[in-house]
This record gives sequence, structure tokens and C-alpha cells, in this order.
Amino acid sequence: MEGKQEYYKAVRKKWMFILICVLLIVVALVFSLSIGMYDLDFFDCYRILIEHITGNITDPYADDIVVFTRLPIGVFAIIVGAVLAMGGAVMQSILRNPLADPYTMGVSSGALLGASIAIVLGNGIMPFFNDSWVKIIMAFGFSLIPVAVILMFSIKRRVTATKIILIGIAMMYIFSAIVQLLMITASEETLAEIYSWRVGTLALTTWDTIPIPLGISLVCGIILLYHHRRINVMMAGSRSAHSMGVDPDRTILVEITLVSLMTAATVCFTGTIGFVGLVGPHVARLFVGSESKLLLPASAAFGGLFLLLANCIARVSGEYGLPVGVISAIIGCPLFIFILIKMRRKSAWN
Amino acid sequence: MRLVIDGIEFGYSSTPVLKDITLDANGPQLLSIIGPNGVGKSTLIHCINRILSPNKGTVMIDGDMVNDISLKDLAKRVGYVPYSANDTFPLSVVDTVLMGRHPHATYKSLDKDLDIVYDTLKLLDIEDLAMRNFDELSAGQHQKVMLARGLVQEPEILLLDEPTSNLDIKHQMEVTRILRELSQEKNILIIMISHDLNIAAKYADTMIMLHGGSIFAIGTPQEVITKENIKAVYDVESEVIESCGRPHLIMLDNDFDNIDHPLPEGTYAVREKK
Repeated sequence: MEGKQEYYKAVRKKWMFILICVLLIVVALVFSLSIGMYDLDFFDCYRILIEHITGNITDPYADDIVVFTRLPIGVFAIIVGAVLAMGGAVMQSILRNPLADPYTMGVSSGALLGASIAIVLGNGIMPFFNDSWVKIIMAFGFSLIPVAVILMFSIKRRVTATKIILIGIAMMYIFSAIVQLLMITASEETLAEIYSWRVGTLALTTWDTIPIPLGISLVCGIILLYHHRRINVMMAGSRSAHSMGVDPDRTILVEITLVSLMTAATVCFTGTIGFVGLVGPHVARLFVGSESKLLLPASAAFGGLFLLLANCIARVSGEYGLPVGVISAIIGCPLFIFILIKMRRKSAWN
Repeated sequence: MRLVIDGIEFGYSSTPVLKDITLDANGPQLLSIIGPNGVGKSTLIHCINRILSPNKGTVMIDGDMVNDISLKDLAKRVGYVPYSANDTFPLSVVDTVLMGRHPHATYKSLDKDLDIVYDTLKLLDIEDLAMRNFDELSAGQHQKVMLARGLVQEPEILLLDEPTSNLDIKHQMEVTRILRELSQEKNILIIMISHDLNIAAKYADTMIMLHGGSIFAIGTPQEVITKENIKAVYDVESEVIESCGRPHLIMLDNDFDNIDHPLPEGTYAVREKK
């Protein structure tokens, strides 16, 4: 059938965008290894990686910098960017709201509050863990409060897309107000630490950071991809979704729980990194449309690439580098507006 | 297929919308629900496919209570075409229609699902729109795409909420005629809400006239479209003439019609600029 072949051809073309993003991620990852105080070029980094893989290390100092300092930061930038953008794509589709993302759900501000409390109180609240793990555990726990509130709300009342966004925004304001209160009473040193968490950074990443967020994100991401058909159906509106065999209320609760889990698992290590979750999916929509089977991997690929590049720029900016959260907003917003103007013919985004 | 509605009642908090609706609809046919605004037409069809749960009474399809059928199985038996489409994130026409295959879909069924989608687009003569984006289409094309989405569910009963509301007269007739033909070709009970009494009377096999949340009249178009019923339900004077064996309504407005209203002349008239 000719029409069907045309459909498959269009789908293959859209997969090319994802493939290109993945290839660029590989190149950008090796490039990111060359950025820093210790001077290395692209080919040095490539050679050091090959030597490390083959076990034939000629420069242990360079190997240590590339493989154990810079590589985990690059890998984690990809994971965080992918998780935030994929989470944003799912939220926007199921809530049928272009402004929805893990940020508007209150996940990131919950994480900030948890981390701020941990910073102020130190490891006195969890004496068995060291300071950084107390911060991560608190951030993870607090970032799941908004979804817990929504789940509790759903027991008593019907949860609609609008109510979820309003609850998320209300939680965000409450968390921000409490963080402000903590910052007013905090010492100068504590204040600086809360501030660095607030703007989001990847600088503290080591290989130990990666397994937990990677594991949780992989499981949640695969389940979300498996749910792509019902995410599509949700875009038709809750009554239409119901008539096509999808329980809209239950689907919203399941998908936002998955998004909150994977977002919480990443932002509890990095702090609040904005922009990627909101705009990443919109950029992906411009290239692959809104069909979830393509949109979710495309958003993840673009989000990963974007945050990796933003992190490269952040590391060479200023005397000691800048937080990646600041750079992602500064370069991301103009880029997004430029793409919107250039590609106004596209109506994948209404 | 057989739809039996037995004494359903529905209301929002203390406001009753549907009161003791009972009907028994059989076989392939086009059934049109008419009535003034706010009378409960949409509420009635939402109770049939369980979007709303009646406070009282039962809905049965071929002897099965709809409440006992899983949502996915219900979607295989009852399709729904909403009043308006949500296009916050518009998909291509193929992907929009493909949504309707969700209740039947498995991970290996995409190819077969696409065959059904393209066959349905061809049936409705919109195959050429397949790769267009939904928000690039006209209102008439929208309506056909939404109809295609309902049809690919391969339902026994198809519910349509004012499918011709935004269409010009040509498309109103075309869509309603297609629905009538489909009911016979595909063996479907099609239940359509309509505000255009003449279009409904022209094509429907059966008509239901709602008034105050209850069934006021039910039967063939000749039985339902009478000047007495129109006066009682819509509070409008009318004449009913027969056209091609079907009733045709001419609305009268005695306050207006009894006085001459000459058309404006000269300066008041708008003419085409040469």
C-alpha cells in the first residue's frame, strides 16, 4: 500500500533526528573531556579513552582526569538532560499543557527544600550517613512530596490535568517560601551552599553518583516508552481517551509518578536545572512531531545533548566555571526562540 | 447489536439532568437525538459509554451491563466522536486516526492497524489528507478525521456528539449521508446528536426528542417531527411539509412574519464592487 509506505518513510526520517542527536552526543562527550584546567585536546582524550579500555595506560595523571573526573560529569549531564526532557514531554502530553514540566510539578523545588534542610541541619538528622548522602536522601524524599499530595488528593477527589498543575504550582510556591525562610536565617557558608544547589551543578559528580539515578531512570523511562500509545491517546482529551479504552485519571497518576521518580532520582544529585524539561520537548516536537513513540526518545536525545553542551560552556565560563543551570537558561531560551521563528511553518506545536 | 437503557437518571449535585430514560435500540440504524440546549443529549450518550455513571438505572449492550465490561473491551464495542477535537499538540491525520486502534493494539499490530486506518480514510475519501497535520484541516475535514477515528475502533455502536455542528450545508448532508450508509455497510448502531432537525429527519431511521431530561417523543421522523411536538419542546411555531417521504420543517415566527419587512434599497444595500 503506497500510503503506508509513505508513513513508514516519514517515520524513518524522524528517527534520523534521534540518530543525529545520539551521534552528536558521542562526539560532544569526547569533546567535553578536553575542557578544563589540565590542557588536553580532542584526540588526546580519544587516545586516553582507548588506552584505558585496552589497559595500556601511558599517562596515569591524564587518565585520572579524563576517566575519573571529567567522564562521569559528561555522562551524568546526558542522563540528567535526557530525564528532564523526557519527563517534560510526558507531562506536556498527558496534561495537554505546553507549560507542564517536572519543574511545574514541584519536583525540583521539593528537592531544593530537602537539600536546604539537610544543609542547615547537617547530618544530625541522619547520623548514619555522611553530609552529602543526607542531602541526597532528603532531596529525593522531598521531591516526591508533590506527587504524594496528588496521589492522596486522588483518593478523595477526581484529579484532572488542571488540578495537577495547580497543585504542583502551589507546592512549588510553598517550597520556595520555606527555602527563602531558611536562607534568611542561614549563615554565610550555608547560604552559599544552598545557593549553589539552587542554580544546579554537575561539578560534584563522580562515578559513585551515577548508578542509582541511571538505574531508576532506565526503569521509569522504559515503562514510559512502553506506555507511548496511551500517552498519545491522552492528548485527545480525557473524554476521548476514556472512549478509546484509557482510564484518564489512572493514566495521569501512573505517568506522573514515573516522571516524578526519575526526576527526583536525578535532581537530588544536581540541584534544580531548569529549562531543559520545558523547552527540550518543544524543540524535539519541531523535528519529530508529537507522536509519543518518537517524541519521548527524541526529547531524551536532545535533552542529553543540550545539557552536555551547556555543561561544556559552563565549565569554560568565568574564572572557575559557572553553574550549568544558569548556562542552560542563558543559551537555551534564545536558541528556542530562534528555532521557533525559523521553523514557524511546522505545526507540530500549536 | 442491541442497546437497552433502563430507567437511567443522572444529575450534577442537586440538579437533575436525565430523568427515567428508557429505550431499546436494535440493529444497524442511524438514530438521531434531538432537543433544545441543556436538555441532556450529551449526558445521555456519555452515560452509554460510561464517561458518566448514571445515579440510577442500567445500560446494557447485547445483554452485558456496561459497568461490567472492562474499559478496553467497552472501547472495542462502543466508539465515540466528540463535539470538538483537542489539538493542543496536533498529530498527523494517520496518527490521529491510529489512536482509535488503541483498544485493539498490540506491539506487533502496527502494520495491520495502518491497513485499517488507510482503508477507513479511503472509505471516507480523505486518503489524500493522511500525512497532513490535524490543525491544517478545515472543519469538514476535521469532522471526517474524527469520524474515521471512531470507525477504526470497529465498534458495534458509534456515538457522535453533534458531528455536523461546524459544517456548511453541503458537508452536513455529506457527513450525515455517510453515517447512514455506514450504519448499513458496517452493521453499526449509530447514535447521533443533532441540532439540525431537517438533516436529522432526512437521514435518520429513528429519532428521539428529549425535553426536560426525559424522552418526549421517540419513533420514525414522521412520528417525531410534528408541529405539535416542536411547539411543546422548542416553543416554536412551525409547519411540517413532506419532502421525498420525509418530514421537512418550516419555522414560523408570527410576531415577525405578520409584518412586512421590505429589503433595504439604494444606499443601504451592499453590492459587489465591480
